[in-house]
Parts: sequence; structure tokens; C-alpha cells
Amino acid sequence: MGLVGIATEKILSSFSVFLFLTILLLAVARRISSSVLLFGLQSAIIAAEVLATAFQEKLPEIYIVGALVFVIKVVAIPRAFFLLTKRLKTVRDVKASTTPTQSVFIVAAIIYLSYAAVHSYGGAVHVPDDPLAAAISLILTGAFLMVSRKKALMQMLGLLVLENGIFLAALITTFGMPLVIEIGIFFDILMGLLLMGIFTFRISDTFEHLDVSKLRRLRG
Amino acid sequence: MKITLDILQVLMLILGAPLVHGIIARLKARLQRRRGASIWRPYAELFKLLRKEELVPPTSSAVFRLAPIVLFGATVCAAAFVPVVHASALLGSRGDFFLFVYMLALGRFFLSLGALDGGSAFGGMGASREALVSSLAEAPFLLGLVAIAVLATRADIAGMVAWTLEQNIFNISAVHILAFTSLAMVILAETGRMPVDNPTTHLELTMIHEGMVLEYSGPSLALIEWASAIKLHAMLALLIALFFPWGMVSSVSGWGVVVALLLYCAKTAVLMILLSVIESAVAKLRMYLVPDFLGVASALSALAVIFTMWVKR
Amino acid sequence: MLLLLPLAIPVFGAGLILLFHNPRAATRLALLLAGVEIAVLGTVVWQVHTHGELHQGRYLRADGLSAFFLMGIAIVSGLVLVYASGYLRHTGEGRFSSPRWFYALVFLFLFTMISVCVSANLGLLWIMMEGTTLASALLVGFYNTEGAVEAGWKYLIVCTVGIAFALFGTIVLYLAAVKAGMNPASALDWVSLMNAAPRIALDPHLVKLAFVFVIVGYGTKIGFVPMHSWLPDAHAEAPTPISALLSAVLLNCAMYALMRYDAIVSRSVGPAFPHVLLLIFGVMSMVVAGLLILVQRNLKRLMAYSSIEHMGIIAIGLGLGGPLGLFGALLHTFNHSIAKSLLFFSAGNIRHNTGTLRMDEIQGISRTLPQTTAALLVGGLAIVGLPPFSLFISEFAILSEAFAQARYLVVILFLAMLSVVFGGFAFHFFRMLCGEPDRRPENSKLIPSEYIAMGMAALCVLFFGVRIPHVFGRLLQEAIAVLQ
Repeated sequence: MGLVGIATEKILSSFSVFLFLTILLLAVARRISSSVLLFGLQSAIIAAEVLATAFQEKLPEIYIVGALVFVIKVVAIPRAFFLLTKRLKTVRDVKASTTPTQSVFIVAAIIYLSYAAVHSYGGAVHVPDDPLAAAISLILTGAFLMVSRKKALMQMLGLLVLENGIFLAALITTFGMPLVIEIGIFFDILMGLLLMGIFTFRISDTFEHLDVSKLRRLRG
Repeated sequence: MKITLDILQVLMLILGAPLVHGIIARLKARLQRRRGASIWRPYAELFKLLRKEELVPPTSSAVFRLAPIVLFGATVCAAAFVPVVHASALLGSRGDFFLFVYMLALGRFFLSLGALDGGSAFGGMGASREALVSSLAEAPFLLGLVAIAVLATRADIAGMVAWTLEQNIFNISAVHILAFTSLAMVILAETGRMPVDNPTTHLELTMIHEGMVLEYSGPSLALIEWASAIKLHAMLALLIALFFPWGMVSSVSGWGVVVALLLYCAKTAVLMILLSVIESAVAKLRMYLVPDFLGVASALSALAVIFTMWVKR
Repeated sequence: MLLLLPLAIPVFGAGLILLFHNPRAATRLALLLAGVEIAVLGTVVWQVHTHGELHQGRYLRADGLSAFFLMGIAIVSGLVLVYASGYLRHTGEGRFSSPRWFYALVFLFLFTMISVCVSANLGLLWIMMEGTTLASALLVGFYNTEGAVEAGWKYLIVCTVGIAFALFGTIVLYLAAVKAGMNPASALDWVSLMNAAPRIALDPHLVKLAFVFVIVGYGTKIGFVPMHSWLPDAHAEAPTPISALLSAVLLNCAMYALMRYDAIVSRSVGPAFPHVLLLIFGVMSMVVAGLLILVQRNLKRLMAYSSIEHMGIIAIGLGLGGPLGLFGALLHTFNHSIAKSLLFFSAGNIRHNTGTLRMDEIQGISRTLPQTTAALLVGGLAIVGLPPFSLFISEFAILSEAFAQARYLVVILFLAMLSVVFGGFAFHFFRMLCGEPDRRPENSKLIPSEYIAMGMAALCVLFFGVRIPHVFGRLLQEAIAVLQ
């Protein structure tokens, strides 16, 4: 097999390591722009993995899915985020509720938990350990980011990381669902992000800040 | 023949250290769009310092004069552990990586003592900050090396390098990536480089290493400066040897050694460029953020150790 | 072909309404379209009743269960739109706050909910379920006040995360189906999954895992207790017609989705596992919501917690299973929507006439707003489950099933919570009804639209309590048959 074949093999066997690195770096990132860049990197790695799977399993549908992932999550969404931060003129800090050290330890614990879960329960599904553990870590890290970051934009980013994890899990276990469903899911995510963007504008208009932890009027 | 090669390795590490310093300084200057001094200037500086008269604070004791000597000796010993051209070193099989780390720690400890003994305020401040940074940096340093050692099932550095030589370069493993990142962060902290400490600063508030050596002059200062250069060179060589050792000769032959040497120079050049870029690109961390920086390094190295459990070797 | 009509009309109607800038023209067009839509839905329901199921292409199917829920949607949305046409005279103007945007968004919302009820494919079901969140988020934040924006943001985030978990559950179920040998193209089709259910059971862990994620995910949209944090805020801060739509229709659609999954999983790994989960969530929701009802201060939040409680009751009915349990659960979805709409309509009136929704500031409305008081009383008595109103029938059915299955703990908690809720409602309502009113409001008479909407809802709730119409009963039986 030629160069492409070798590259595909290497991508498939080692991409999960780089995903772990991106979520560890996300845990310590202190500015919104670096978090968005890391998300773009993460989506690029996942897109590469999708294309590698498409090449290896010889399923042409998945090429389209890979192209969609690349266009939407690597190009469009980070640019939208940058536009949003410029328009909102918000402070660039991430406003984490945990220090970087604590965050890194929590993410490290998450990675450990995902591996433990995959080793105990992953026997039912015959996939290699690392990618599945990477997917579960992405999901849990997305949830952690949503809980610990107090900027509205960071909550959106956490949601996107969570969706990345679910998408990856779907891909490696079932090699993708029917194409129509995948396109529908992408469309939904895009619409969701659009609406969240609208809402961040409204929040910054009515509240004059973007700190979600200060939205505490409704209680009880 | 092996012994000669080992001795030559140590000499190369020692004598090449000021050159490494000089090249990095020149690269940084170029990146910052200055002309920069010549790359041989550290040698000129060492000669100058060795010929100067030494002034000693009247309140100091023998520790003050002893410290630079112990520092230099310990650092040279540590440098003797690191393989450069082939997978063995002068003291390579005589001790394991713990000894390497604690040789460096011994030198650092005596430097702090000497700084405290000098009696100036900057010495005390530098020593206390150095104590903080080095105590926090010790954990990731050791854990990173432990991770590689667990994989290699050997504890001596030469043995670990030999094991790495046998591996396939394309099997990227999570352990290696995490250990590399963590050790790189530790090197930045231990050798007093940005973003932990500014090696070119003259402002008291930002000094760690510079604060400690403020009272020294003449040959003692020469020894200290040389020792810190050797430390940087040795740790860079360690990084290369543990993570990218391919190209080292396994059997001693003339051509093989030359090729290995050239490859080593190339790899060091890459690392120096990376170091200069990082130093020019980041701002120095404020002191209370340094524990966070080292905490991240600790977490990464701890994760590397945990990952060794799942690596199928 | 017929199935495409109830989907196409709301979408095109939404676009059409946006063209009309004049509020009164927009309102009239909206009412007209609503009438057409209800007629079409009625036709669909009738077709399903007489001919069995309808399908269109690979992704749309309407069977007995869909028909039952479509009927509920039709009736409640009709009432809500009639009420809204009068309610919007009170709304101020803003960038997105004009009536045409309101109606357009409402029609989009209706489109997504109807699609949920007629999808044959679980993937399409998920997509449309996420669509309901997106379509209603702007409606929740319709008034651009601080509270509305906060409620809208929380709603969007919490529900999207929940739905993401439901997506994971769907994927795991798909995985189990494909591993059991089903054709991937039909592994998300509900009927094919029902037929192949025993085969999928070869890997019970995957199916159980799928159900856990699905109940957590769709349970977030239903409002089950640990995941309910968005519900009181969203239902309280939204405009009144939207609160009614959310409580009465959206929660039912989410419950519909859960019922579909419950059917597959019960047939596959046996009913014990999913039903235990449903009972746990149902009882937790009832208990927590019931207790929180006692300490509420805002009228609409009180009703939102009551919705959570009733969804808990429906979950208990579903979790008990058996003929009476299913009968009670399905009937309760319908009864609850009518009664809750009535309550929300009354709350809207109270707000416009007294200017506040805080129950300690509202006094003596029995003298100032007699008709609204009547509606409020009818709604309140209905919602706590007293005879002769319809909710009594469904709750009684669920209780009988619980007795028949000797689940005495459930019975005790159920009855205890019903008493607690009765006490809470009685306390809050009597405080509002009695006493001296602060001021005499200007117009305490109801305008015709509100009169019609509330009157019809009240009559419905009373009528169904006395006797269930024959056709309705038959539809209910067919729905139950689908699930068994």
C-alpha cells in the first residue's frame, strides 16, 4: 500500500493521543481565542480520522461526512467565534472557576476514568481501546468545561466539545449513521449555535456582561 | 575505545555548553530584530572572568567560596550520565536517573546556600524563589523519567536510551508525548528560561537565578555561569537522547561516530530554535503563576505514569 | 401525500405570516392557518382511525399513538392560538417582538412538534426534537427582559446538552441493532426495530445502556427531576400562550418519544428494567415538584412545577405498564394539557389586570376578576385531581394499576404527594381569591377570544371527567395497542 495507506494506518492508530493532548491544553487555556484554536485543532484531528476511516473501510459516504466536519467545525465555527468575540467586545479571559492546575488534574482524572470504563464495559463493542476512551474523555471534558467556565462563549465551546465526543463515538463504533441523519444532526448543531450566538448578543445587551454565573435572578 | 568515546562525550557537553548559550542568545536577538552578539562571546566572557580578581563579602564563610566549586562539580557529574553519540555514557551504568536528578539538585542546593551566605537581600530573595521553583519542578522531572523507565524496565539513563533506540519511531505513544511535554516544561523551569525566569534581566523583582549570583565575581562567577550552561546543554542532550535518539551508533566505527555527531548537532539545533522561539514569544509568568505552570507539568507527567499501565509492551 | 400537508402548512404559513406587517392582518392570517391546520390534522387522525396507519416515504409514519398525540396537539394549539390573538394586544413592540414574528415562530414550533409525532425514524425523531428546542428558544426569550433572556439561555443550554445525551443513546441502540444483524438503512426505523427487538436482546447491556441515556436525555426535555432546572424558568418567563404550548404540548411530545423507546426496549430486554427507571424518575419528580409547590411565590412558576409533577404521574403510569397503567398515562397526557392551558390562560389574565404574578401581591381577585376566578378555580380543582374533572379519571386508573400490582410504596407516595399538592394549591389560591383588592382594574371583562379559549378548555375538562366520548376512547385504545 502506498504512502496514503501508511499515513492512514498511522492516523488511525495514534490520533487519540493527540486528542488527549488537546483536551489537556483546553483545561489550561486562559483565553477564549486559544480555546477556540484548540477546538479547531481537535476538529481537524477528528476530520483526519474520519477521512482515514473512509479510506480504509471503503465507504464513500463517509468522505462527505469528513468534508462536512472539516468545513463546519474547523473553518466555519472558529471563524464565527472570532467574529462573535470581536463584535461583543467582551473581556478575553475565560473566567474559569478552577485554577489551571486543578483543571489539568480533573481532566487527567477524566482520562483515567474513561480508560477504566472502556476496559470494564468496552468488551461488548469490538473497537480498539484508545479511540473509544478518547471519545468518552471528550464528552466528559465538554461537560466539565460547561460547568467550570463562566463565560457564555465558553459554555458554547464546551457543548461543541461534547458533540465532538459523541460524533467520534458514533463514528468508531458504527462507522457513521445513515447520511441523511448525519446531515440533519449537523444542521441542528449549526442552528443551535446560531441561536446561542443570538442569545449571547441579547445577554450582553441586557446584562452588559457575558458572565453566566451572574445570571442568578431566577431561583427556587 | 568505548571509554574514549564516553570521555569525549562529556568533554563535548562541557566545552560545547557556552556555544549553545551563545547560539540561543544570537537566535533570540535575530528573532527580536537585533544584530545580536557573536556566538563565541560566552567563551570570551569566561576567559575574562577567569582572569579577574575575586571579591568576597566580608561576612561570608567558606560556604560562599565552596558553592561554585560544588555546583560545577555536580553539574559535570550529571553531564557524565547523558549519552550523546552512542547509547552509553561515562557514568551511565554506574547510577540511575535518580542520581542524575539529585546531582543537579545538589548543585542547586549549594548555589542557594552560597547566595544566602553572601548576605545580600537579593541573594536571599533569589534563594527562596529558587527553592520554590526547584521543589515544584522536582516532581514532574522525576515522574517524567519514571514513566520512560517503567516502559523501558531499566532505571539507568543509558539503558533507557538503548531501549528507545530499539523502538519504531512511528509508534507514537501517549506516554512519550506526555513525558516529553512535561520534561520540556521542567527544563524551562530548571534552567531558568522564560517563561519562568528571565536570563537576561537586571531588574531585581524578576530575578531568580540572577539574584543568586549577584554577589559573585571573578573565577567563581565563571564557574557558576559555565555550570548553568552545562546544565542547559546536558538537559537538552537528555531530551534528545530519551525521545529522539535514532542516529546514535551502536557499534563504534569512525564514520558512524561522525554521522551520529552531525545528527546530534542537527537535533540540538532544532531544539535551540524551538527554545528561542518560545522564549521570544511568551511573557514571563508572574511569580504566583509559576506553581500553576509546574502544576500542569506535574499533572502531565502523572498522567504519563498512569498511561504506562495501559501501554501494551 | 396526506401526511405531508400538516408539515407543509405550518412551514409555509410561517413564511407567509412574516410578509404581513400589519398586526391585525397577521393575526387573522394566523387564525385562518390554524383552522386549516387543525382541519388537516383532524383528517389525518380520522384516516388513521379508519384505515390503520398512514405512511409517506421512508421517514414518516402515523399510527394509532401518533394519531392520539396529533389530536391533542391540534386541540391545544387551536385553543392557544385563539387565546394568543387576544393576548398579543398587550405586547410592546421590539425588534423581534411584533405579532408576525410571534406567529411565525409559533408555527415553526408547531411544525417541529408535529414532525416528532409522525416520524418513523428514530434519527429523524431526534433531529426534530432538537428542532423543538431551537424553535422555542426565541419564543421563551420573547420579551427582552433580563429574566426572559436568562431563562432562554438556560433552556437552550440545558436542553441541548440533554438532547446530546439522547443522541448518544440513539447511537448505542443503532449500534446494538446493527450488531444484531439488522440492515443499517432500517436500523433506526421504529417498526423494524419493534419487529427485530428479540434479536437485539442478544446484547442486553448495550440496549440497557441506550435506554439509560435516552431516559436521561429525553427526560431533560420532559422535566424529570434532576434535569428539570430549566423548566420553571422557561415556563414562567415566556409569554403566556408560549408557556401553555410548552407545558401542554412540548412535554407531551417528549413523553411520546420516550414511549417509543420504552416500547422497543421493553420488547427487547423485558419490561422490568425500563419500567423501574421510569418509576424512579416519576416518583422523584412527583415528590420533589410536589414539595417545591409549597414554597412558590410566582404564579406561573407554581404551574410549571405542577407540570413537572404531572409528568411524573405520567411516567409512573407508563412505568407500571399493564392495561390500566397505559390507559391512565395516555389519557393523562391529554387531560393535563387541557387543564394546564386553562390555568395558564387565567394566569395571563391576572397578570394583565393586576400587573404582577407574585401571589402575595395578588389579592381579592374574586371580586375584581370574577370570570378569571371561575376559570382559575376550575383549572385548579382539575389539576389537583378532584372529581368530576377529567384528571381524576386518569389518576384513578394509574392508582388502580398500582394497587393491582401491589406496589404499595408507589401508592403511598402518590397519594401523599397528591394531598401535599392539594394543600399547596388551596393555600396559594385562597390567598389570591380572598381579601381586599388593592385597586379596581380598568377592564376586567374578558374579550371574546380569551372567553372562547378558556371556556372551551373548562368545558373540555369537565366533560371528559363525566364521560369519555366514544371516538376518543377508540383512539385511546388504538394508541395503547401500538405500545403493546
